[in-house]
Amino acid sequence: MTATTLQAEKVAQRHHVRRISDKTIQTAFILPTMVLLILWNIFPLFYSLYLSFTEYSVIAGAPPKWIGFENYRNILSSPLIWKYFALTGRFALLSVGLQTIIGFAMAMIVRAKFRGSGFITTLILIPMMLSPVVVGKFWAMIYNPTFGPLNYLLGMPPPRGPDWLANPQFALWAVVLVDVWMWSPFVMLLCLSGLKAIPEYLYEAAAIDRASAWFQFWRITLPQVAPLLMIAILFRTIEAFKQFDVVMGLTGGGPGDATELVAVNLYRIAFLGRFDTGIASAFAYIVLIIIISISNLYIRYLNQLRGEA
Amino acid sequence: MSKKLHVLVVLALLVGLVGAFAQPAAAQQPVKELTILWAEWDPATYLAELMKDYEKEAGVKVTVKQEPWGSFLDVVSKEWAAKGTAFDLVVGDSQWLGQAASEGHYVELTDFLTETGLKDTVTEATLKYYAEYPTGSGRYWAFPTEGDANGMAYRKDLFEDPDEMAAFKEKYGYDLGVPKTWAELMDIAKFFTRPDENLYGVAIYTQKDYDAITMGFQNVMWGFGGEWADENNDPRGAINNEGAVQALEFYRELWTCCAPPGSSNIFFPEVNNYFISGQVAMGMNYFAFFPALANPATNPYAESTGYFAMPAGPTGERFAALGGQGMSINAYLPPERIEAAKGLIKWFGREDVQAKWAQLGGYTCNKKVLASPEFLEVAPFNAAFAESMEMVKDFWNVPVYAQLLEVAQRELHTYVVGGEGTAKETLDRIAEEHYKILSAAGLIKEATQ
Amino acid sequence: MAKFEEVGPRSPITESTRVDLVHPRARLGVTIRAIVAIVIVAIMLFPVIWLSLTTIKTRPDSVAVPPKFIPYFPDGFLSDWCMVPQLNKDGTPKLDKEGQPVLKERPICFDVTLEGIVGLFFERRTLTPAQMKQYMDDPNLDWADRILLKRGLLITGPGEFVNRFRNSLIIAGTSTVLAVTFGLLAAYAFSRWDISGKKDFLFFILSTRMLPPVVVTIPIFLMYRQLGIYDTHIGMILLYTVFNLSLSVWLLKGFLDEIPREYEEAALVDGYSRLQAFRKVVLPQAATGIAATTVFCLIFAWNEYAFSLMLTSDIARTAPPSIASTQGAGGFEWAIIATASMLFLIPVVVITFALRQHLLRGVTFGAIRQ
Repeated sequence: MTATTLQAEKVAQRHHVRRISDKTIQTAFILPTMVLLILWNIFPLFYSLYLSFTEYSVIAGAPPKWIGFENYRNILSSPLIWKYFALTGRFALLSVGLQTIIGFAMAMIVRAKFRGSGFITTLILIPMMLSPVVVGKFWAMIYNPTFGPLNYLLGMPPPRGPDWLANPQFALWAVVLVDVWMWSPFVMLLCLSGLKAIPEYLYEAAAIDRASAWFQFWRITLPQVAPLLMIAILFRTIEAFKQFDVVMGLTGGGPGDATELVAVNLYRIAFLGRFDTGIASAFAYIVLIIIISISNLYIRYLNQLRGEA
Repeated sequence: MSKKLHVLVVLALLVGLVGAFAQPAAAQQPVKELTILWAEWDPATYLAELMKDYEKEAGVKVTVKQEPWGSFLDVVSKEWAAKGTAFDLVVGDSQWLGQAASEGHYVELTDFLTETGLKDTVTEATLKYYAEYPTGSGRYWAFPTEGDANGMAYRKDLFEDPDEMAAFKEKYGYDLGVPKTWAELMDIAKFFTRPDENLYGVAIYTQKDYDAITMGFQNVMWGFGGEWADENNDPRGAINNEGAVQALEFYRELWTCCAPPGSSNIFFPEVNNYFISGQVAMGMNYFAFFPALANPATNPYAESTGYFAMPAGPTGERFAALGGQGMSINAYLPPERIEAAKGLIKWFGREDVQAKWAQLGGYTCNKKVLASPEFLEVAPFNAAFAESMEMVKDFWNVPVYAQLLEVAQRELHTYVVGGEGTAKETLDRIAEEHYKILSAAGLIKEATQ
Repeated sequence: MAKFEEVGPRSPITESTRVDLVHPRARLGVTIRAIVAIVIVAIMLFPVIWLSLTTIKTRPDSVAVPPKFIPYFPDGFLSDWCMVPQLNKDGTPKLDKEGQPVLKERPICFDVTLEGIVGLFFERRTLTPAQMKQYMDDPNLDWADRILLKRGLLITGPGEFVNRFRNSLIIAGTSTVLAVTFGLLAAYAFSRWDISGKKDFLFFILSTRMLPPVVVTIPIFLMYRQLGIYDTHIGMILLYTVFNLSLSVWLLKGFLDEIPREYEEAALVDGYSRLQAFRKVVLPQAATGIAATTVFCLIFAWNEYAFSLMLTSDIARTAPPSIASTQGAGGFEWAIIATASMLFLIPVVVITFALRQHLLRGVTFGAIRQ
């Protein structure tokens, strides 16, 4: 067979395939995702929505009893819940804020190519690969003021060092620190991808113009990284509202209720012997509405950024 | 696109329906295997070992499935929710009884235990707390399997050191020894709290998760004259009476003065950790967790570790919080499996099997075995255990126990560890909230006057 | 056309041509960055190092006060430094009855033990000291028995870890492949075409990740029971796929948006079909995004805890629900937990390292961006 016939055949093949219209491809590409998401979400979502209007415990024999908005009323009128929401807001702000700053800073540092930079970057990713439950338990051990290594490394052997998890002032920070330790690498990796995508000529131009490093950062680096950074922030914020396993391992929501995040409290209501499924579902929907509103704001901003780019 | 969405929704519902009707029918055949669900800990391993004998004798293979303590109740509950048959028997916590019995998750064993005579083989306390619901009704839902209660471990090398004894006598005016009252325990705890030497008086339960701090506090509360409720089940004036308030102040003082740093959210594994690392002179724990302290391989102080039952409060009475479990049969099983499960319990209750159970390390509830000299001597803590089992009391075991527990956990932890409010305010709140929960559940009897 | 295939965008620009980067000052900057990066690695990895030290500690050593940092082997590695000869008051070495010098362990040192590593693979039960002596004399013990017997543990059978680890590999692996594949297709469609209701679709996809999982576990559990896929591999694979799709679609769309359409358009003009353009032009460019998404999806599926606990019992149970709560008699077996965690880390680390090139390459053809 000659090269020309091969070539011709290839072209023919291509033309054959090309007959699939873009419309079909669109549908075929989106369909699996949508089908899976709908199949897996429709029942749980509607079922728990229904349960949120009932008095019901999954472990009770009695069927759900319709009580209208009472669960919602009870939750929204409980001062404790608002305290937990405020706490969760603070946690999310501190934790996601620090993750963004630290993740971005780390990305800026490791973007430079030096020997072993790829290796080092990969090593930084390890904390987020650990199982959250194990992370909670081991950090509780690390924080322990007597047999934990942290206070020793900080030069505060017992009895001098603070009891991080027992002190209401430190406990939330201790939880934030673990979350930041675990998830800054996530932000870093996404920022790094964004950073590497910045065309070199932009910097070259800036260098020729003798633009300051500060100017380069604000005018070139940040805007170029922003889209991926915003996705990272979005996902971390959603996760912050769902954070409970690390907290359970570290403080169990204590001392008192210094670290009683919404998701921790929700877990306490939905499981841990109580199984107040009705109230838990209502609570979850309130959380969902709050996350949706926050995400919506984010996404609008995100789209705005995209529009400008 | 919205049309497509409709199609998908219909499709989803169809798939669900088809699935619902396509349940495979269970095949009928003689029961050759049984599954017991229990928490992941040594007694379950002992039980698995014991069940090898049952396979030899009866030809039924018994699997003991172990779930970690943290998720044990979740896993059991999900089966209840689905009326599932993933396990045939469950060795469940005493507090679950009310819920499981009144919601029909357990098979009633009253007739079975009476006919087989098994009812009379176990001690009264264990029958009352591990098997009976409602209390005093004479209806049974479980066979007492693993007895357990809170006790104390202490460092004999410290308590019996002549220098320490002399110093203690000089300071407090009486001899250092196993405390007979909570006041003495406080003195001893304060005496041994020496941050410079990394030594602290006592490790006590503080964990907020499930039931730890409530269990720890109860030990003290009953001895001080507090009760969860009066005889009409009314918590007001019982849980917030003077004795209970004093007891709570005592518990907080004990924690603030004498507990090791880092013990703001601890339960049995952590208490043992503190003990093993030589940081505490005394440690509160369930007897089931003392084998680790008696084992030189896990506890460097094993040879010099002693055990005692809870001391008395100002009322002169002593109480210990109850742990332990009874074995129940899953009510959603087909009849032939229920019969097979009963056969297993019948065998397990036999005296020789119970003796083997105790010998393996299980805490038998069998009267005769418990009283036998072999049992009292086989482990250093068994004497204190037998003593404790005479003075056990339990938290609520009514169907709403979990809600009651959640209130108690939250409030007690906030006061003891968080240091917010006063003991009186804390207990008043518990009394109020418990009253609401109990009256909503219709559990409060009309006052007799 | 042939030329396009040879030197197409598949070979990215890896060498910088920027003059400002070869300047000595810039070089110094790079050195400083390298040092800072190493410090960061040390801080980030400290807890992991602590975890790996714990794998070879006995239970008392893992909670010793003060904490122990330096492992040694008796009569071997570091033992000279760790075992300090005791001195008499006059400064001469203290000798025991047999004339051997009396040695004392430095508090910071600990004796290496394999009990955690061995213990992970077997079911075990605690023995009383009397029983322990009895078993010690048994000549049929193998090395694993001996290691655990020293700890007062008897091996009663094989452990569950290997099985659950395998389940984790199957479930997390397959679901990651599915989530990335489906996510990539959907992300491509959303990125390239103006589909009506696109924003709503995307938000719906995102919102599936927002409901706290605690609440959906029970409905999903009931659903799985009805469908007969409770405790099956396929059930877990599909669940994790769904669980990860939102992240996958959103991330990949973020990456695909960065790839200029001109490339595909050029390829289409060259006679490529849409699918071919997608495969031969877009995919190679999206390698970074695919690699990053794969790693993230894998991590989520690999460590997922709540669903695995509620939706499986034996057959398809993955490792996380049992790792964190391994308890022996009255306490956490820190060494076993640590060993399980470290072993469980290996596959993810290996895959991340394998994908490193793609992961860190970035989207490197920005030169033709508009």
